[in-house]
Amino acid sequence: MTNDRRRMNNIRQSISQSNYHRHHKINTMETISSRRQESRYTRSLIEASRDPLFTINPEGKITDINNASVNITEVTRENLIGTDFFEYFTEPEKAREIYKQVFAEGFVADYPLTIRDGKLTEVLFNGSVYKDEFGKVLGVVVVARDITDHRIVEKELMKAKKRAESATRIAEKAKNKAEFATQIAEEAVKSKQQFLSNMSHEIRTPMNAIIGFTKVLLKTDLNAKQKEYLNAIKISGDALTVLINDILDLAKVDAGKMIFEQVPFKMAASILAMIHLFETKIQEKNLLLKKEYDNNIPNVLVGDPVRLHQIILNLVSNAVKFTIKGEITVSVRLLNEDKDSVTIEFSVTDTGIGIPGDRLEHIFENFQQASSETARLYGGTGLGLAIAKQLIESQGGTITAKSKLGAGSTFSFILPFQKTDAEVELITETKELNAVVENIKVLVVEDIRLNQLLMKTLLDDFRFEHEIAADGKIAIEKLQNKSYDIILMDLHMPVMDGFEATEYIRNKMHSQIPIIALTADVTTADLEKCKSVGMNDYISKPLDERILFSKIADLLKKSMPVQDICLPADRSEYVDLTYLKKRTKANPELMREMILLYLKQTPSLISQMKQATYDKDWDSVYSAVHKMIPSFSIMGIHKDFEDMAKKVQEYSSTQKHLDEVQELVLKLDNVCSKACEELEEKLKLIKRPK
Amino acid sequence: MMTNEKKILLFLVDDDELFLKSLIIDFADNTESVVQTFLTGEQCVENISQNPDVVILDYNLNSVDKNAINGLETLDRIKAINPLTPVIMLSSQDKIEVAVNCMKHQAFDYIVKSETAFVRLQKTITTIFHYQEIEKALSWYMEKM
Repeated sequence: MTNDRRRMNNIRQSISQSNYHRHHKINTMETISSRRQESRYTRSLIEASRDPLFTINPEGKITDINNASVNITEVTRENLIGTDFFEYFTEPEKAREIYKQVFAEGFVADYPLTIRDGKLTEVLFNGSVYKDEFGKVLGVVVVARDITDHRIVEKELMKAKKRAESATRIAEKAKNKAEFATQIAEEAVKSKQQFLSNMSHEIRTPMNAIIGFTKVLLKTDLNAKQKEYLNAIKISGDALTVLINDILDLAKVDAGKMIFEQVPFKMAASILAMIHLFETKIQEKNLLLKKEYDNNIPNVLVGDPVRLHQIILNLVSNAVKFTIKGEITVSVRLLNEDKDSVTIEFSVTDTGIGIPGDRLEHIFENFQQASSETARLYGGTGLGLAIAKQLIESQGGTITAKSKLGAGSTFSFILPFQKTDAEVELITETKELNAVVENIKVLVVEDIRLNQLLMKTLLDDFRFEHEIAADGKIAIEKLQNKSYDIILMDLHMPVMDGFEATEYIRNKMHSQIPIIALTADVTTADLEKCKSVGMNDYISKPLDERILFSKIADLLKKSMPVQDICLPADRSEYVDLTYLKKRTKANPELMREMILLYLKQTPSLISQMKQATYDKDWDSVYSAVHKMIPSFSIMGIHKDFEDMAKKVQEYSSTQKHLDEVQELVLKLDNVCSKACEELEEKLKLIKRPK
Repeated sequence: MMTNEKKILLFLVDDDELFLKSLIIDFADNTESVVQTFLTGEQCVENISQNPDVVILDYNLNSVDKNAINGLETLDRIKAINPLTPVIMLSSQDKIEVAVNCMKHQAFDYIVKSETAFVRLQKTITTIFHYQEIEKALSWYMEKM
């Protein structure tokens, strides 16, 4: 038994020993093969380097190299190995020193040297010592990095940098020069404008008196001769005024000062009214007038009707002027329509004298007519088409002319207009003169006696009551003692000028009485200033009595219904339209629209809020009340109620104090219903035509 | 010599017609700008290819139509199409988290609807253009460098 066990143990031991031997043998074989592999791998790494690599023994002799070293030194491998390392550099002493340094410190980094080859390659010298397993130094491994390419790039970079710097300097100089030139040009434009503005002022003031008094004289008893002479004066005066206005318009467009309005207007009515002006003239000349209007054009469009008038007026008056017999056709065609805008082509065709082909391209230039004889035969300044072109192009349109000598001409222009909601009907058509405006008290503020007298005759004609104040200070005194419906205010006066007086009336007296500025000078910043001090409108001198009348009638129509609702406003408990009036500049049309919108959206918001409170849908309560909040201040509903609404907003968003929400909502419902009732009443008052 | 300056294109987006109208009236006096209005964020995004100079956007756009996208989402979509379009947010709620939210979503500013909202809007728009000019000048110089 024991023998058996011992034998078994021996066998087991011998098996495990033989296993051990087998393993050991395999391991050794693997190590040798992997070492060989490692060495091949290392060699390939060394050969792959594009930088020359050397190993040097402590005596300074080369012991091994890679291919890059062969390439750079242009010496074969066999001839390199065993030679003196230092001989391959332009400064062998330096190389030797570096070599010593490597041995002393163990390494050296980025030391610049030059290899003595065909090209004197510049390198950075990097080296470190290598040791055997006992720590004995066997030699040095050296890498010499070729930095030729690096140097070239560096040089190029420097060059490029210098070039860029000098380009910047040149650009800077050019820019300064351009700025200087622009400044001079701008000053020239400014002084030209100033000159025109001064000139217009100087000419317009006496023209005002000449034309005005001619008109007054024409209304007195005259014999036929006297009437003829006076008519001649009036016609010449009118022509001169048109010329001055033309020159000023052109100067304004040139200076980029022309401002185009964007107001809704009725295209068809506007065009008809315009053509209407020419009907007598056309009948006198026995011409036929044809009107073609495309009914697909939307009723109301947004644009500048005044400038459109001016363009058509220029073209039609040319057509009438240059046509002796035949017909004039005015056609308006819809070219294109999309969601927001339309493009419309307007053309004016005549059967007049026509324009020679070689003159056609110059016809839109300033002071150009088809021939130098034109002016003598037909009159005109040659500014009309230039102005029309400028007005059209500044609004993003184009104008073209076609013509056949002796057969007639066609002038067409294309302008874009914005579409608008049909509801927005701010009618800016030419006002009818026969509007009934009675019992009007006008305060005229004017220092020049002549103009005072002229104003007096005009207002007498209109059957308006009037008083004259010689300056702003007197005007204010008069205003404090008596009430007037409208003020006509000259701008430049002694003691207190029109701006100061208006400021005082608006800010100190808090009066919203309509004020129309009278000015002989419309190019300067005066107009902006008129608006900013709170004047409602302006009229340029020489005064056109029809424009004066329509402007007065227009302003009074606007302000009267608003004055009417001032009284019931005091009786209202919930709403106060003072703020709305201020925001809309007391424009009854806009006030109406705002109130209608409030009446439209508030009841549905209230019912949403009530229902949501009942359903405990707090998000919905929140969004309804949130939308309501801005309307409180717009309609002048008391701050307490707005705060109530804000509380509901707060509670419903934070979901706190929800028990209070119910009561607040009921209160708001009550307030808003009352406010709506009051607004319905006010709406009737604003609506009522005066 | 001088060219006519291009008018500023403003987009106003608000489902509160009353407030929208009051803003239109305010901007109507300003001849330098053209105002386009939208009642929903969707409409605004559909038209964003017109490249508005400034978008004025209400924070709560889904109080009338519950399914409409709200102000922030509209803002995100605008920014996704053109990240440079300046957007001013409007809200009737004066809340810090609303303001912070707007800023996080790249709004230029956040204005509370009140009596003075319009004045602030105008000032903010002026500031936007001021910034844009500075940026343009800066990039000009950077290019020259």
